[in-house]
Amino acid sequence: MAIEVPDVRESFSQAIYTVTLGATPQEGGTRERLITVGGERALPFHHFDGEIPHPPVVAMEVWDIPPQDWPPVVRAPFQDVFDDPGEWAKKCVEEYGAALICLRLVGCDPNGANRSPQEAVQAVRRVLEAVKVPLIIWGCGVPDKDNDVFPSVAEAAQGENCLLGTITEDNYKTLTALATAYGHKVIAESPVDINIAKQVNILAMDAGFPLEGLVMYPSTAALGYGLEYVYTIMERTRIAGLRGDKLMAMPMLVDVGREVWGVKEARAPVEEQPEWGDERARGPFWEAATAYTYLLAGADILIMRHPEAVRATKLAIGKLMGEGA
Amino acid sequence: MEAQLSGKREYRVTFLPGGKEARVAARATLLAAAAAAGVELPSVCGGEGICGRCRLIVRQGQVEAAPTLHLSREEIKRGYVLACQAVVRGDAVVEVPPESRAGREAVVDLDAREFLAPEAEAGEKFPREPLVEKLFLSLPPPTLEDNLGDQERLFREIRRFRPAPILQAGLKVLQSLPALLRDSRWRVTATLAQRGGTVELLQVEPGDRAGTTYGAAIDVGTSTVVAHLIDLNSGETLDAEAKYNSQRAYGEEVTRRIIAAERQGPTRLQALVVEDINDLVSLMVDRQGIKLSDVVAVLCAGNTAMVHFLLRLPPGALRRHPYVAAALAPPPVRAAEVGIRINPRGLLYLLPGIGGWVGGDITAGILATGLHKCEGLALLIDIGTNGEIVLGSKDWVVACSASAGPAFEGAGVTCGMRASRGAIAQVEIHPTGVRYRTVGDAPPQGLCGSGLIDAIAGLFRAGYIDRAGRLRPDAKLVRERAGELAFVLVPAGEAPREIVITQRDIENALRAKAAIYAGVSILLREMGVRPRDLSRIYLAGAFGSHLDLRNAVTLGLIPDVPLERVHFLGNTALAGAKLALLSRTAWEEAQRIAAGVTYYDLISCPYYYDEFMAAKFLPHTDLARFPTVRGALRLGEPV
Repeated sequence: MAIEVPDVRESFSQAIYTVTLGATPQEGGTRERLITVGGERALPFHHFDGEIPHPPVVAMEVWDIPPQDWPPVVRAPFQDVFDDPGEWAKKCVEEYGAALICLRLVGCDPNGANRSPQEAVQAVRRVLEAVKVPLIIWGCGVPDKDNDVFPSVAEAAQGENCLLGTITEDNYKTLTALATAYGHKVIAESPVDINIAKQVNILAMDAGFPLEGLVMYPSTAALGYGLEYVYTIMERTRIAGLRGDKLMAMPMLVDVGREVWGVKEARAPVEEQPEWGDERARGPFWEAATAYTYLLAGADILIMRHPEAVRATKLAIGKLMGEGA
Repeated sequence: MEAQLSGKREYRVTFLPGGKEARVAARATLLAAAAAAGVELPSVCGGEGICGRCRLIVRQGQVEAAPTLHLSREEIKRGYVLACQAVVRGDAVVEVPPESRAGREAVVDLDAREFLAPEAEAGEKFPREPLVEKLFLSLPPPTLEDNLGDQERLFREIRRFRPAPILQAGLKVLQSLPALLRDSRWRVTATLAQRGGTVELLQVEPGDRAGTTYGAAIDVGTSTVVAHLIDLNSGETLDAEAKYNSQRAYGEEVTRRIIAAERQGPTRLQALVVEDINDLVSLMVDRQGIKLSDVVAVLCAGNTAMVHFLLRLPPGALRRHPYVAAALAPPPVRAAEVGIRINPRGLLYLLPGIGGWVGGDITAGILATGLHKCEGLALLIDIGTNGEIVLGSKDWVVACSASAGPAFEGAGVTCGMRASRGAIAQVEIHPTGVRYRTVGDAPPQGLCGSGLIDAIAGLFRAGYIDRAGRLRPDAKLVRERAGELAFVLVPAGEAPREIVITQRDIENALRAKAAIYAGVSILLREMGVRPRDLSRIYLAGAFGSHLDLRNAVTLGLIPDVPLERVHFLGNTALAGAKLALLSRTAWEEAQRIAAGVTYYDLISCPYYYDEFMAAKFLPHTDLARFPTVRGALRLGEPV
């Protein structure tokens, strides 16, 4: 007599929303490659439980002004292209295989270079011309300035189906309205708090923005700096989404490079910390380890900086998705 | 003009209107000067410059004011200062603006009387057998055959009417007994008081005085003291009075008063609240033409800290982990011992508390609502600076205390005030404008808790605020004011001063409601109870006579259950106090309630913060918990 093995597979009632970024000329854009994330019906890489139709993707970071605070290890690969966001983006895509470009409008920060909306538009146009992958456009983070810059930026990228960020609990109306008007998606940011994460989504929805147009950004912490807090928030969010909470069923994004390259474990030169080893290996490793952890937490889009870390992360994604198996 | 007194400079400060004066040392604050002059100013923070309530206008003289964010540039130009942040540098004349007049002209604040109504319906009837009662007795005179002592003769007679295994009389009473019995020809009235298992013979009066037995039931609240004068024979409430707790000068919150008691000794805090009780009782007694000596009992329901102050128990441990009381169920004491002026042998009873932060007022609330005898599950929410939440039925009762902050009592809100005269207590907000109603139909002075609940619910319903409570900057009647958005409820022309709700006020109120709702929802979850399992929700609190229950649900303050199950009862502490005073059975039941309630510590709940954050949204992050609000407002959440 055959022994019946019980089916222990977990099945969830709902799939994560599928979000496609970029638009082809037929669709009103100029992209040659589109990126689709989301659609999971199982926890990260639990292929045995349900379908995971789209692998997580790595976006590489490009700035509108040459960065000052990047440590030498992560400056080196881009030293020659810092002055031109277009060339910079091109290098990321062509040499390092970035699936998307995240253009960060750091130069608009009123406490920094305080560049104008027109200058931001120029940077966006440069990147759109230089590469044919979809774009993430990330504001300077000062709400008033972002609300000042994004009207021109969103219009300049009209039809390109970019991912614009970020909206927060305090500042969501302008960007959701612009994204609706010019056909973009939006990043919903929350401060490592599952309730606020949901609240931001609700606010966007109440403002008339479709839930399917949102990507959640639960904040990010580098390895050693509260990563486990973010991890549990992401895990809870994903479980809630899979179990049927439509307000939590968005793909998630993590901003790995910015966090990692701000911590001393990644930055400190070996002369300062001899026992930590060569920073040229240590820094990228720190970024890759952080990224890998977030993959397991459910990240769909990872924004990264160092080419070596990107390579390692893409390799890991491939293996976790079962390539070569 | 300067006066030289004992080598120190003193200045004269005159307060308008009224012209009360004080002489104070140089560099004394105006708040201290006001206290010295007997001018009561509202001070929520106890003089730390945090609350911005003690507003004065300097008319003449030298006053040096520290910078403060609580006053606008315009107001500073007009001479406004905060009394606690302004020091006297010369003789000065200052005006107390209407919003700072706390109204202490009369012994009793007319304002506070608003707290008298309504009173909780009794959940249950108890037999009338007051804690202190008078018995008229006609004793058989002694004979050779019946030669019992005078005391034993009296006791024998008492026991014919009332079983009293242990009867005691004080020496004073015994000393006067032989003459009294004979002079009154053996017809006397005995006053008997229950003290635990003992019955004390408080006094013996000549003749029949059984018809003149009175007591006072008092709700000793952190902000308001409410007293009822009761005929202990008929159970009738003869009179009622209320006033603000004079301890407020030491801070609006209990913790600040405990700190003050620790620093300066507890005598002053005791004296203040005792004088409040004396004021109220003597006023009612005079008005009713009753002799003070016929008031034989006072029963107080108060939070645990108030009981400590009243009895001058050291309160320090209450505010330190693990928050232990000196006594939760103190024994009855001679009222005169603490300074309460009634019959010199009369007793002071205190309803037992449940824990350091759930006091006798909640025991009274449970007694009054009969929650502990409910067949179905009931919830009692007493909204105050600490929101106390009680859940239970005849089988079990659990209570917790949620630190809500004083927003619903009018503090921490720009134009907030208590539910007193001139307070906006009801608000309707329409796309076309605002309709409101004040307490006593007086000109609007500010916004009280019920008005705040109405206003925020109204703003939400009319689309002025989003679900996070953010004001829409482009909306009509929304203005920028001192760097933040504010909704103009009453324009300056219609009131002594403009009455607004600022963005921060809304946030404070949402924090308060979130703390209370989180407490409710944690208590329900820990006990495995769903809101729809609740057969009754009792709401109590210092809201005056009005609270719009629908708005309380819209705000997400209380669970979304059919409104017919929700009952607003007002002052349940007082209702319970009266029951206990009038019935030894009720008093004993209160002891059992207090001993039988399980205290749940919210702070140790691992998901408290999660629940709190989820509840900060309007009405809640999880709309499934508020189906009727979702339906009524057509909130578009996918199902």
